[in-house]
Amino acid sequence: MRDLNFQIPQGVIFGFIGPSGCGKTTAVRLLTGVYEPSAGRVTVLGQTPTRFSPTTRAKLGYMPQQFVLYPELSVWENMNFAASLYGMGFNRGQPFKRLLDFVELSEHRHKLARQISGGMQRRLALATTLTHNPQMIFLDEPTASIDPILRHKFWNYFKELRDNGCTLFITTQYVGEAAYCDLVGVMAEGRLLMVETPEGLSRRAFGGEIVDLTASQPLDYARLEQLRALPYVKSIQRQLSNTAVRLVVDEAGTAVPQLLEWCKAQNVPIESIEKYTASLDDVFVELVQQARNGEGVDAA
Amino acid sequence: MLRNILIAPVRVSAFLGKEIYEILREPRLVLTLILGPFLILLLFGIGFRNQSRQYRTLFVAPEGDSLSQQIQAFGASLDSQILFVGVTPDEVAAKEQLRRNEVDLVIVIPTQALESIRNNQQAVFTLYHNELDPLQVGYIQYLGGVYAEEINRHMLQRVTAYGQSEAVAHQDDLGAARTNATALRVALEQGDSAAARQHQQELESNVSGLELGVGAGMTILSGLDQTSTEGQSTDPEAILAQLSDVRQNTNALGQIEDNRSDYTVEAQTAAKIESDLTTLDTLLGDFKRIEPGVLVSPFRSETYTVASVQPRVIDFYAPGVLALLLQHLAITFGALSIVRERQLGTLELFRVSPVSATEMLIGKYLSYLLFGVILAGILTVMLHWMLGVPVLGGWLNYGAVILGLLFTSLGIGFVISLISRTDSQAVQYAMIVLLASVFFSGFITTLRSLWEPVRVISWLLPVTYGIQLFQSVMLRGSLPEPALLGSLVLIGLVLFVWAWLLLHRLMARR
Repeated sequence: MRDLNFQIPQGVIFGFIGPSGCGKTTAVRLLTGVYEPSAGRVTVLGQTPTRFSPTTRAKLGYMPQQFVLYPELSVWENMNFAASLYGMGFNRGQPFKRLLDFVELSEHRHKLARQISGGMQRRLALATTLTHNPQMIFLDEPTASIDPILRHKFWNYFKELRDNGCTLFITTQYVGEAAYCDLVGVMAEGRLLMVETPEGLSRRAFGGEIVDLTASQPLDYARLEQLRALPYVKSIQRQLSNTAVRLVVDEAGTAVPQLLEWCKAQNVPIESIEKYTASLDDVFVELVQQARNGEGVDAA
Repeated sequence: MLRNILIAPVRVSAFLGKEIYEILREPRLVLTLILGPFLILLLFGIGFRNQSRQYRTLFVAPEGDSLSQQIQAFGASLDSQILFVGVTPDEVAAKEQLRRNEVDLVIVIPTQALESIRNNQQAVFTLYHNELDPLQVGYIQYLGGVYAEEINRHMLQRVTAYGQSEAVAHQDDLGAARTNATALRVALEQGDSAAARQHQQELESNVSGLELGVGAGMTILSGLDQTSTEGQSTDPEAILAQLSDVRQNTNALGQIEDNRSDYTVEAQTAAKIESDLTTLDTLLGDFKRIEPGVLVSPFRSETYTVASVQPRVIDFYAPGVLALLLQHLAITFGALSIVRERQLGTLELFRVSPVSATEMLIGKYLSYLLFGVILAGILTVMLHWMLGVPVLGGWLNYGAVILGLLFTSLGIGFVISLISRTDSQAVQYAMIVLLASVFFSGFITTLRSLWEPVRVISWLLPVTYGIQLFQSVMLRGSLPEPALLGSLVLIGLVLFVWAWLLLHRLMARR
C-alpha cells in the first residue's frame, strides 16, 4: 500500500470502497495494530495501534472479513466468549438479547455456529463485535452475504451507533453503500484515490455536475461545438443520441436556466433539460478508470 | 492499570469456558477417553496370565543313549517351562519342525557325554529356537542354563546317594572297630599287653576298611560341593575329619610293650578312639538320614515383601496407564489448541482485543487442567472402586501428582502447538512423544534396563515422573517424593515460560 493519507473525525461513518484486492483489509489491519506500517505513521484514538494499551483496545470493535468464531460453540456461547475477551461484566442477558434481536438471530441462539448459514454467521460476527459497546468500530465488509433488506437495516443501525458517538470504519465492495457514509475513501490498486463525501464523489469523478439536454430536433456538430464553447459548460460528457447530450457544468442550479435561455435565443426547441445524478457505481468506475489512465485524482 | 488487572480474570474465563464447551461438544471423545483406558486395563487384568511361557521341546539324542533315557525325567522338573514333545535321533528333521513352528525348542543332547567328562571336558547341550523377539531369545538362553544346571544337580544327587549307600555298607566295620577299641581299652587298663596288641591289630584292620569304604565316598562328596556344605556337622568333611582323628590316634598307640607297670596313657588314647568312633557312628547315621537332594542343594530361597501390599498385575500397571493417559490427553489437547486458533483465524481477533498472551495461556491451562482433573477423577473412581486398585497414600498426595503431571504435559502440548503450522503436524509431534513415553518411561521395561545416557530422555518425559509418583502414592502409600514432584513441576514451569515466549511472539503485531 502507498499514498494512504487521511484523517477520520470522531463520530462519523467512514466508508472504505475499492475493488477486491485493492488493500482494504490491509488498511484495517494497519489501523487495528495487527500490522505495523513499513513506513509512515498511524494514530488511532491518539495512540499508535501497535502500542495500544489494553484500555484502548477495550474501546475497539473489530469484525474481520472471514468468519473467525468457533463453529462448535453456540451463537450465545460465541457472544459470551467475545464479551469475556473484552472484559465485559457478567450481566449480559439483556444486551445480548437486544443485539441478537437486531441481527435476527434470537431464535437461533442455541444453535451451533456451524449449523447456521453463511449470512447468519456474518450477523453473528457483527453481534459479537458490538457486545462490549466499542467506541471505535472496524468492520471489514460487514454486509457481504447479507440480503438487501437486512443490509439496509445494518446501515441504519450503524447510523444509530454513529449518532451515539461511535466512529465506524467500514469497508465494502458494494459501491452503493457509500451513500450511507459520511465520508468515503476510494481505494484502487493499493492507493487511496480520494476521500470525499458521497455527494462530492460524482463532482470529483466527472469534474462538475451533469445536466442532460434533449432537443426536439437533431443536434449537429456545429450546434454541439456552440454548446461546448459556452462559459458555464465545462465539457460534453457524452452524446446520448442525435437529439440528446450530457453536459458537465459547474453548478446545475445556475446552468439549467442559462441553457434554456441559450436554446431559446438559438431557436433550438427543447424537449427536456434536467440535472442527472450518476449512480455511485458509475462514479466509482469513472474514478478507477481515471486512476488507471494516470489522470490525477488526489486524496482529500 | 488496576482495572485491567481486575478484568484479567474475566478475559481468562473466556478461554476457560470456551475450551470446556468445545470439549463437551464431543461426547464420544470424552466417553472414549474415560472408557478406553478402563476397558483396556480391565481386559488386560482378565487376560494376563502371570506365568512363564511353556516351550514345546523336542530332544535330539542317539538311540539307546543312556543319558537320553533320563531326559524326560530331567525335563519334568522344568515342566512349567519345558513341554516334553519327544526324543528323536534326527537333528535335521527336528530343526525342520522348529522352522515350521511345530515345536518351540530343540535340545540336542551331547553324544558321548560321559567320555567328554572323563576327558576333562564339559558336555554341551545345544538349544535351537526360531524366535525374533530379543527378550524371548534372552529367556531361552537363560532357560538353557537352568536346564543344564538341573541335569548337573541330578548327577550330583546320584553320586551323593551312592556315597551314602557306601557309607552305610561299612557300618559293620564301624561296629567291629568300636568293639575292638573298647576291648583294647579294657586290656590296657588290666595290664594285659598281649590281649591289647591283639585288639590293636584288629582295630587297625577295621580302621583301614573304614578308610577305604567310607573315606573314598566322602572324599568325592566333599570335593563335589565344598562350598555348599561348609559348616554343617553332618557334612562329608566332618566325617572325614573324624575318620582322620581315629587314624591318628590308632597310629599313636604304636607298639604296646610287655611287662610295663602303667598303660594309662595308651588306655586314654584307646578311650579317645572309642569316643571318636562313637561320634563317627553318629555322624554317619545322621549323614545317611539326609536326602541326597538336600545334600546337593542344601539351600533354597523364599521371598517376602516389606511393601504395604503385594499388588496384582492390574494394580501394578494401573498407575502407568493412568499416567500415560493423562500425559497423552494433556499433550494432545494442548497441541491442538493454539494451532486450531491459528487455523481458524481467531488469533487476529485476539491481537486486536485487550487479551494478552499470559491471559490466553492461563485460560487454556486452567480449562485443560480442570478437564484433566475431572477425567482423572472419573478414572480413579472406576479403577479404585470397580477394579479394586489401591490408593494407599492419601487423596491429597494423589491429587498433587495428577496436577503436576497435567501441568507439565500441557506445557509440552502448548509448545508443540506453537511450533506446528497445521493440526496434523501437531498430532504427529504428540504421537512421537507418546511413542517415546511407551519406550522410555519405564512403562514397559524398567528404567534400569536403559543405558544411563538414554535415561535423560526418560527424565524429560512427565510420564516417567508420573508413573514413579503414582506407584509410590498408590501402591506403597508413601508421600510423593519431593525431588521427583519438584522436578516435574520445575519442568512444567520451564515449559510454561517457553510456551509463553512463543505465544507472545505469535501475538505480537507484525
